[in-house]
Amino acid sequence: MIGRHPDSALLVEYASGSLELAPSIAITTHIQFCDQCRRTVESLQAVGGEMLEEAASVPVSDDLLDNVFAHIDSDSSQEQSLSRVQHEVGKVHSENEVLGELASTVPAYIRKFLPAEPLKWRFLSPSLKTATISVGEDVNELSFLKIKAGGKAPVHTHKGTEITVVLKGCFSDEEDLYQPGDFIVRQAGETHQPIAAQNEECICLSVLSAPIQLTGIKSMLNPFLSFAPS
Amino acid sequence: MNVRFKSSRKSAPMEEAQDWSACLERVGSHGDREAFSALFAHFAPLLKSFLAAGAGQNSENIEELVQETMVKVWRKAGNYNRSQSNANTWIYTIARNTRIDWIRKQIRQNPNQLHADDIYDSEATVTPHSSLIALRNKRDVSAEIKKLPPAQSEVLALMYFQGHSGQQVSEALNIPLGTVKSRVRLALKRLKIALAENELELEAQEEAHA
Repeated sequence: MIGRHPDSALLVEYASGSLELAPSIAITTHIQFCDQCRRTVESLQAVGGEMLEEAASVPVSDDLLDNVFAHIDSDSSQEQSLSRVQHEVGKVHSENEVLGELASTVPAYIRKFLPAEPLKWRFLSPSLKTATISVGEDVNELSFLKIKAGGKAPVHTHKGTEITVVLKGCFSDEEDLYQPGDFIVRQAGETHQPIAAQNEECICLSVLSAPIQLTGIKSMLNPFLSFAPS
Repeated sequence: MNVRFKSSRKSAPMEEAQDWSACLERVGSHGDREAFSALFAHFAPLLKSFLAAGAGQNSENIEELVQETMVKVWRKAGNYNRSQSNANTWIYTIARNTRIDWIRKQIRQNPNQLHADDIYDSEATVTPHSSLIALRNKRDVSAEIKKLPPAQSEVLALMYFQGHSGQQVSEALNIPLGTVKSRVRLALKRLKIALAENELELEAQEEAHA
């Protein structure tokens, strides 16, 4: 039973297109598990459809329809196949090679965002490791997190907002127990210590947002997290 | 911004939507140009103002965006499924995604060529439930949306038309983010869009703080 869901304003941002890519990926991941939120998103898109229908009608140029047909006639068949080919050429490694130990865990949807090279895991603590996936956004960091069975993540404080979606296994913190599909939001300044369930490792998708816009200066330290000295 | 609700449309909206769905199906099944021209005549002028609202000062090229959206409508029409969504919802999602990609191109933030179509899961399987929802949506949403109190419809209009986030709405209207969120929740309640349980808890918390 999924107990944690995105709030309705976040779902409206998602359905209306103002939400950044990485958090949008987190929401699409959540609705792979959660039919309720999937239906809410469908309804919110229907609101968008009505909004469009209610928009003021502004005349377009006389030749716009001809331009559209010209465009359709010139390259309709080419472009679609081209993007598919480019996609395939970039993949030297198979999806399962890229995913490695995650191969059986990751929903099909997430596989679209995989890098061409195998995931690079780095340990944040003996029981917690992370692999970042780039979606080309400076303001967010999208990554997989893996906590060993029974493992404790270090106590940490977020500098920005953190969204976590559980993909496999369970973890708990001071507040609750979280299961696959749960969508957990932590605000800047909240401190917590996730602990994986004893019987199984826990794998999550995580989106960390930087507290401020980064301006190309790469800090040696992770700009998104600060760990308490232990 | 003002949402201008047209008063001229007194005819049954259901019938109209069915027509557009049929047009999309004709385009999808055999590239029917007459059906596409009819869709274009109706939707292109709507798309022009819809897309211009979200494009900010870069609105002079807006017809390029309209063109791109309508080309996608042509190409994707084969995937259209009337039991999943009505025509205006389907065209809306294409316009939204086109606008997202276009904005990201403007700010040059797309090194890995991810497209909005990749982010949103448009190939999701249609459950019998979701087709029921689609029908119910059509009936409820179009009737109820016009009856929303101005404070609520203003917030939704800023989010859908201008592409504002909750935070941006809060800044534009000079009201706290919490107020934006509670107006969203109230609007969705009125539109009979299901809220998750934790939303109801949030509302209770908010009331306690107020």
